[in-house]
Amino acid sequence: MQQLTSLIIPLLILLIITHGLIKHIAVYEEFVEGAKEGFNIAVNIIPYLVAMLFAIAIFRASGAMDLILNTIKPLADQIGFPAEVISMGIIRPLTGSGSVGVLAELISTYGEDSMIVKMAAVMFGSTETTLYVLAVYFGAIKINKTGYALQAGLAADLAGFIAAIGITYWYFS
Amino acid sequence: MLNKIWASLIIIGISFAFAQDVYDEVYNTHNNGIPVQFELLTSDTSHQQLTLTTSTYKLNATLKQNNKIQIHLSSDSPKKFLQISAANNQKNNLIADIISRDNTSITLLFPEIHWEKLREVTQAAFDTAEFAVKLALGLIGIMALWLGLMQIIEKSGLINYLVKFVQPFLSWLFPNIPKHHPALASISMNMTANILGLGNAATPLGIKAMQQLQKLNHNKDSASDEMCMFLALNTSSVQLLPPVTLIALMGTQVSELIMPIILATSCSTLVAISVAKLFAAQRRKKRESCNS
Repeated sequence: MQQLTSLIIPLLILLIITHGLIKHIAVYEEFVEGAKEGFNIAVNIIPYLVAMLFAIAIFRASGAMDLILNTIKPLADQIGFPAEVISMGIIRPLTGSGSVGVLAELISTYGEDSMIVKMAAVMFGSTETTLYVLAVYFGAIKINKTGYALQAGLAADLAGFIAAIGITYWYFS
Repeated sequence: MLNKIWASLIIIGISFAFAQDVYDEVYNTHNNGIPVQFELLTSDTSHQQLTLTTSTYKLNATLKQNNKIQIHLSSDSPKKFLQISAANNQKNNLIADIISRDNTSITLLFPEIHWEKLREVTQAAFDTAEFAVKLALGLIGIMALWLGLMQIIEKSGLINYLVKFVQPFLSWLFPNIPKHHPALASISMNMTANILGLGNAATPLGIKAMQQLQKLNHNKDSASDEMCMFLALNTSSVQLLPPVTLIALMGTQVSELIMPIILATSCSTLVAISVAKLFAAQRRKKRESCNS
């Protein structure tokens, strides 16, 4: 499976270019024509990304999340639920680098074989940094009113979060 | 919803930092104005070099004029000293006043720190603003590459085969996209990249799809049903292969996580589709009742 991914992109590029040549397309010129947009899109994204990331950074730096976790922890302990996993659930939709940090920390504290790390890793693989994706995708086409996209995205994250916990428990025990 | 979440992240963050700082001021948790005693481990007076120690850590220091001492810090020095040094804009150095000194011990008074949490929060805000720009500019190259290839696919007509192939799967999810529209091809390519865990191909292709959906959008500054559905699918996407970062972190352990991830992402994808469909139906109802 891993080998398949390393094949897919070169083969796809080969297919695209040869098919273009067969159809008598000026491949180089068309490529450049399309690639021109790359810069504009990236520049369009900047304000959306600044807005989103700076709000998340303020929230993280304030340590408010630790407070939330410390409040949940005794409750979670009572029902035998690892509170550490919740920190992954909260931080995952907010920031990619933050959730990598949480996962790395869990690995160094509990080891790869522990249920907590497996759960957090499955969670990491099953959810997305929704706020970042939202900022990038809607930023690229300059849309400010995001409708119900955020609700749907966060609902998907919540489902992934719960499913990751349940499925990891069931799968590894 | 986005406005509220965004605002609450900022408001909660700043108020929480403020409350913490007020607490620190009232109870003087930073121990401002309280001298600290250290043992002197070695004292090489000719070079003015000292090693300070307590039961838990050692610090190297140099004597300065006017009864001052400069402590050298590294990234693994105690957090308290790093904080004081950062608050005074002294990189990896800390100047303290010597209160008293004999052959075996030394007592120091450190500079005071105030409003530390608020300073950290402000610094984080400025740093990320800069980081966001770097992040966006870093996308230019990979974006240009994929947009260039997409342009060739469109011109050569390769896209039409792809659209024909995915039409039956996607027309239920995106009922308002006209038949044989190129948006379907971008969407399907983005979804494929997501499923295979090819993050850096997925983003440019997803943006391309969004641009094409924007052409079909009647109200150019607000998201259409298709866009919301597409975003929800993107954040929940089924993952046959785990993302590269997870492989890097977990090593070979990752292979036994593949099955649970596929199952969990299938659940989240189902939820994403249902929630987006529900919202779309609600919106349609509202629009109809407005018209009648």
